[in-house]
Amino acid sequence: MTVKRGPFALAAAAAGFVGALGLHASGSVTALTPKLSTPRSGPSTPATTIPSTSKGGSNSTPPTSKGGPTTTTHVPPVKKAKGTSSRSVTGSTYNYSYGQLAVRVTVTGAKITGLSVVGLQTAESYSQQIADQVIPMLRQEVLAAQSVRVNGISGASYTAEAYVSSVQSALNKLHFK
Amino acid sequence: MDQSGYVHVTVSFDAETTNVTTKTGRARARSNPRPVGSGAPADMTRPTTASPRSPVPHPRVLNGAVAIVAVGFGVTTGLAFTATSRHQLAAPGGVDMFLGNLTGLAGTYLALVMVLLVSRIPFVEHVLGQDGLLAWHRRIAPWPILLIVAHVILLTVAYAQAARAGTFHEIGTLLNSFPDMAIATAGFGIMSAVAVVSIHTIRRRLKRETWWALHLFMYLALALAFAHEIVLGPSFVGHPLTQLIWSIAWAATAGLVLTYRIGLPMFRTLRHRLVIDQVRSESPDVVSITMKGRHLERLAVSGGQFFEWRFLAPGMWWQAHPFSISARPQPPYLRLTAKCVGDFTSALAQLPVGTRVAVEGPYGAFTSHVLRYRRVVLIAGGIGVTAIRSLLEDLPKGSRPVVILRASDESQLILRDEVAELVRYHGGQLHVVVGSREDVPVEHLGKLITGDLRKRDTFVAGSEGFVTGVVEMLVRLGVPKEAVHSEVYAL
Repeated sequence: MTVKRGPFALAAAAAGFVGALGLHASGSVTALTPKLSTPRSGPSTPATTIPSTSKGGSNSTPPTSKGGPTTTTHVPPVKKAKGTSSRSVTGSTYNYSYGQLAVRVTVTGAKITGLSVVGLQTAESYSQQIADQVIPMLRQEVLAAQSVRVNGISGASYTAEAYVSSVQSALNKLHFK
Repeated sequence: MDQSGYVHVTVSFDAETTNVTTKTGRARARSNPRPVGSGAPADMTRPTTASPRSPVPHPRVLNGAVAIVAVGFGVTTGLAFTATSRHQLAAPGGVDMFLGNLTGLAGTYLALVMVLLVSRIPFVEHVLGQDGLLAWHRRIAPWPILLIVAHVILLTVAYAQAARAGTFHEIGTLLNSFPDMAIATAGFGIMSAVAVVSIHTIRRRLKRETWWALHLFMYLALALAFAHEIVLGPSFVGHPLTQLIWSIAWAATAGLVLTYRIGLPMFRTLRHRLVIDQVRSESPDVVSITMKGRHLERLAVSGGQFFEWRFLAPGMWWQAHPFSISARPQPPYLRLTAKCVGDFTSALAQLPVGTRVAVEGPYGAFTSHVLRYRRVVLIAGGIGVTAIRSLLEDLPKGSRPVVILRASDESQLILRDEVAELVRYHGGQLHVVVGSREDVPVEHLGKLITGDLRKRDTFVAGSEGFVTGVVEMLVRLGVPKEAVHSEVYAL
């Protein structure tokens, strides 16, 4: 290659780099907005695919993320059931290699009535995707079984283990059998 | 022999007269050029237009392709920046995660560029020549390898930091839990092994064929890594358009390799069906092989080019070696001339007539297409005369070439009569300089050239040491780099 091609190529590369950043900043490229394929909802609407067995417990899913090391969730408050008192405790945060999470457990009388994930942090977007898919399923299983003895979920054993451990620690704090 | 201990013969051919003058004063009987091949025309030195020259190189098209590839590189590295944010960088492992993504993207893109460089895409090869492409391939090589090594280390550390786990424990986790990571790691292992084997000190201990076979595993390494990029890379997860474009780039690269490294050579081999017609010793260690083939009038090749030849004989069919053609095709004949320096080349002389020959090519930018000036100098060192000899056939009328044949002793002067015949045809000057390197300093060759050296195209062919010495001398004499064209013979 002649000497001229070198600087020419560098200039073209710089142009491509700036172009990619510029397009991203202006948000005009749909490819750069994440479209996760998991059943998701925004912060205010409940997950549509998971039947909720608790009165007022809401499933909180992480907000839109572009992928990255961490995401945190915001937890809407749990409504009190009529009559019986509800107690809520957040379980310990469990670290599971691709991230960490803690589950806030609401117990009304003798039943687990609410489960919501607080403080979900994942290493990157792939783990985020897994968490989005798996957490609603775990919630449903725990509520149906009314205990932490649930089936594992293949492909997400670490996430499930952390979830279950956190729920267990919360139940221990609530002195729940 | 004169006082300095070398033989120098100058033969000037004037277009009008047929007299031959020799500086040493020795009368040399001019013998007719030897016939090439049984039944072939007796004089293979007559320039003929029976087969066309190779396509004209288009440097501007190449510049356009370089621009596109460069823009792609810029966009790809930009993807690492668009996939992160200040918040993510501040999290544990965030910076390492970002750097790991960046190095992965940049390293893989450059790896694809490496593959493109050796995929022998015609419009690229016409401008840079196969040797130019290999030079760039070698020059760029450390970058994708080091970037990908950095990618692996950085991401392992990053995940360990994010999970607040030990780094070594993290390696096991990464391998077992993430999809496609096991095969990607296998690919990384293969890439590292091939890279280590290519380190100069190790490579020179291996036979060329062994090193070559190991090097081909790079294709496998790259293929194994593809899946994990699309499935795990933050720039790709949840970004189907980016995934699509990346996949298209990979598919296109694979398509180009299949087409131009495998498909086109196979097509040419089958179309022309070359078969050895005659094997002749030009000297104790130089052999000429004349082949017969079909449709050679459709083989577009220029003088000065070479093929990678694969002789389909036991023990030789799995190696392809580059040799220049020593004459333009004279349909149905095609000739190469090679020097015996190793096992393979020494076996050439024993090849039986009728052996089939598979070819890859023609390759090489050492052609008359690069001529800028009307006048030409051709300098051949030893076996380098083969490219010069075929190049002579392509010179335009009026180029009055100055041709210098340089050899360490008389037995190394091969194809001399054919060269002389062609120089006479073009009305040029032939200098034959015989003697060892100590006896003949390279500057002497420069002095042989009459007229303004800087207004001539100079073609130099020979061993690496010879070419380097001559080119450096020409540069010292003020010849612009664009006017010097060289072909290095790997001996």
